Amino acid sequence: MLGPNVAWYLCVAAFLFSTGALGVLLRRNPIIVLLSLEIMLNGGNLALIGYSRHLGDGAGQIFAISVMAIAASEVVVGLGLVVAMNRKHITLDVDRMNTLRG
Amino acid sequence: MTAGAWICLLSPLVGALVITLAGTRISRRTAAYVSTLSTAVAFAGALTAFAGLLGEQPHERHHISTAWTWIEGGSYQSGLSVLVDPLSVMMMLIVSGVGALIVAYSIGYMDGDNEERRYFAYMSLFVFSMLLLVEGGNLVLLLAGWGMVGLSSYLLIGFWHERPSAIAAAKKAFVMNAIGDATMALALFTVIQKTGSLSFGALGSVHGSTAANLIALGLLGGAVAKSAQLPLHTWLPDAMEGPTPVSALIHAATMVTAGVYLIVRTHVIFEQAPTVQDVAAGLGAATLLFAGLIALVQVDIKRVIAYSTMSQIGYMFLGVGVGSYANGMFHLMTHAFFKALLFLAAGIIIHSLAAEQDIRKMGGLKRMLPKTYWAFLIGSLALVGIFPFAGFFSKDSILAAAMDRGTYGYILWVAGLIGTFLTGLYTFRLFFIVFGGEPSPFAREHFHALRRDVVGISMAVPVAILAVLSVVGGWIQWAPFWHPIEDWLHVVAEPLVSPKDWQEWTSSALALALGSLGIGAAWLFYGARRRPVPRLAFAQRTLEHKFYVDELYDAVFYRPSSAFARALTAWVERPLILGSGREIGDDTRDLGGWFARLQTGLLRTYALAIASSLAVLAIVFVAVK
Amino acid sequence: MTLVASAGNVLVWIVWIGAAFACLGSGIAVVSFSNPFFSALALIGNLASLAVLYLLLSAEFVAAAQVLVYGGAVMVMFLFVIAYIGPQQESPWAGGPSWQAVGAVLAAGALLIEIIVVVGLKASGGLAHSAQLGHAFGSPAEIGRLFLTDHLLAFEVTSIVLLVAAVGGVILGAHSRREHWGSAGSDALRAESTRPG
Repeated sequence: MLGPNVAWYLCVAAFLFSTGALGVLLRRNPIIVLLSLEIMLNGGNLALIGYSRHLGDGAGQIFAISVMAIAASEVVVGLGLVVAMNRKHITLDVDRMNTLRG
Repeated sequence: MTAGAWICLLSPLVGALVITLAGTRISRRTAAYVSTLSTAVAFAGALTAFAGLLGEQPHERHHISTAWTWIEGGSYQSGLSVLVDPLSVMMMLIVSGVGALIVAYSIGYMDGDNEERRYFAYMSLFVFSMLLLVEGGNLVLLLAGWGMVGLSSYLLIGFWHERPSAIAAAKKAFVMNAIGDATMALALFTVIQKTGSLSFGALGSVHGSTAANLIALGLLGGAVAKSAQLPLHTWLPDAMEGPTPVSALIHAATMVTAGVYLIVRTHVIFEQAPTVQDVAAGLGAATLLFAGLIALVQVDIKRVIAYSTMSQIGYMFLGVGVGSYANGMFHLMTHAFFKALLFLAAGIIIHSLAAEQDIRKMGGLKRMLPKTYWAFLIGSLALVGIFPFAGFFSKDSILAAAMDRGTYGYILWVAGLIGTFLTGLYTFRLFFIVFGGEPSPFAREHFHALRRDVVGISMAVPVAILAVLSVVGGWIQWAPFWHPIEDWLHVVAEPLVSPKDWQEWTSSALALALGSLGIGAAWLFYGARRRPVPRLAFAQRTLEHKFYVDELYDAVFYRPSSAFARALTAWVERPLILGSGREIGDDTRDLGGWFARLQTGLLRTYALAIASSLAVLAIVFVAVK
Repeated sequence: MTLVASAGNVLVWIVWIGAAFACLGSGIAVVSFSNPFFSALALIGNLASLAVLYLLLSAEFVAAAQVLVYGGAVMVMFLFVIAYIGPQQESPWAGGPSWQAVGAVLAAGALLIEIIVVVGLKASGGLAHSAQLGHAFGSPAEIGRLFLTDHLLAFEVTSIVLLVAAVGGVILGAHSRREHWGSAGSDALRAESTRPG
């Protein structure tokens, strides 16, 4: 194929994934966490698309579209939570939300 | 005749059971009668056994009757058996006879006590235990009886359990007896190991001097503890906390003489360990001097007689220690008579003076208790060994036997003679203080005579019988002329010594002289009050403190043990055992809490956990692939 | 021909490098900004560069869907919510590195390194030769065909998930019906609402 090897795309995907992981783990604002989560999902999508290209199988793209749909759904619910929390005047800090503390 | 022995053994047990099971359904007096009857029946049984043996040839006089096999283990076997031979029959007669008299006396002495039934149940239990000890056909039953008399002694010393001093004395007696029981048990273990059996005959087949020495030492330990010889003697004076009949029966006539019986019964092993036998004789001699000296300063009437008991048993130990078994047993018999007499007479005095036992408050009781005066006089003369009373015949034979034992025997002989002087001194010191002179103010105030009903009769008659026995009981054997006791016991235990006639006469004369000297000295100091009692402050203090033995034992044994026990409680029991229970609970809870810390509730922590696990899994996955 | 091919190759490479760096840069930007608004904008850039990468990988439909769905719907929603909530400043890198931060960096770094190592190991082997593609690869027709035949289950399940998410969104967004719960319930609710998180 033209351009870089699939391996390069996979490295980019890996980088995106780990960057998103860092964001999820290190940020306290839930919105930023959700955004980082999107980055991780996109990294996974890129890997899927890359492999789909490498193997010539369309299943990877199907999977990627499904991931996109599910990511959208999850963002809906997550942002709905954020809005609900904001309406109840709860501070938007994931560290404060520890009612499930054991 | 074995039937007689069985009746003798079981009758007191039946009596005890009847009293225990009947409880409050029978009156207190009935319980007393039941107990006395059972002991009298036991005496009848003993007489039957005795009569049966009399009709046989000496070498036939050995019957073992086994009820059933009691313990069986491997090749070891012990049966529930009674042994009827001259020695056991002699002891049976003494125990049940004197016992019956004392139990009868108790009817009056213990009248009115709230727990009379318990007393008589315990007394019957004791008589049973003592008979088991002397009738036991093997060492196991002897040990069983041994332990049970210790138990009965504990129960009866602490009979008035509201008194803390009585409880303490009972515990002391039991603990010291337990030491002896332990050494005896060790000796019996050695016997089993060497011979595989615990019959009396097995003792004869122990070879090897080390084993024999160990066994003899262990048995001697038990005898010393039970008979209150040095060094395990401190419990006997304290045991006077019990009622007077208990002191008479257990701590004068029977239980404390069990040690002597033991040595005679197991004389075979002692003869194989002559050193130990010499030690026994030496302990006896030391004890008789020791106790005699202490008795000089005692002010409690029962304690004087208790130390006198200790001293006389020292004589018995001396006798069997030098190998004169029959004489030791003879002295045991006469001692039972006059010592029980003295105790029971003292009981009458105590009863009449509203339970007062301090002789300094007594005085001039001759006028108030004339018959008791004569009884006490007879008992005292018998104790000192004045002809023709009982003690003369038995004690002097022991001294003569000691002469026949070489140099060591002569040392013992001298000790015995000094003891005779001391005996005269302390006995008549007691007699003159209590009975002589003018009646004391206390006596005048509190005296009340014996009632002339069952109470009074039950107390007077046994005393009278014992007084008669103390007069004539010794005449059964006068060594140079006739010696049926020695012949009777010859088949059981042959004496190791046979004193010659000149030794007998010398001993008798010297003993008589020294005894009379003691009486005279007592008269000087205490009777006619001619001379003041010599006051040596240091000696007085030492004797009053009983040579500080109690303090020594307290410092050497009691303090370190209780400190050790306290240390163990603080260091081991509380932290380790009690604390471990609590700590296991606490630790489990802490562990749970530690794990709960993983549940932080923080989103990011969980995410981190997932990310880290993913990283690790990725490595694993790659490595495996 | 080879000159055209090699020129095409060079062009692709240049585009790839640009898109890749834009992707990575915007990714880091998303994570780093303190203002969520800027993070959301950076994410839009990320999505755009990803779409370019998809195009390079012959996944045209997916690239279009990415821009439409992600950029058009998801990001708009994000921006709406960020605007609704208002300014939320957070200093993300304030304070020293807590053990959480260290652990996070280690975990993420480990993941990255592992994947790169593995990919690098395989690069010369299994990943060397990509398959030859059919003409319809990545086209909407092909995607549609696959959705309705081979991967019908995924299609249906995804639609159910979307339905669930819609319902969830409605519930979360609805105002609580205070006036219907009675005074006790509303008191508790009022107390709960004023309680700080």
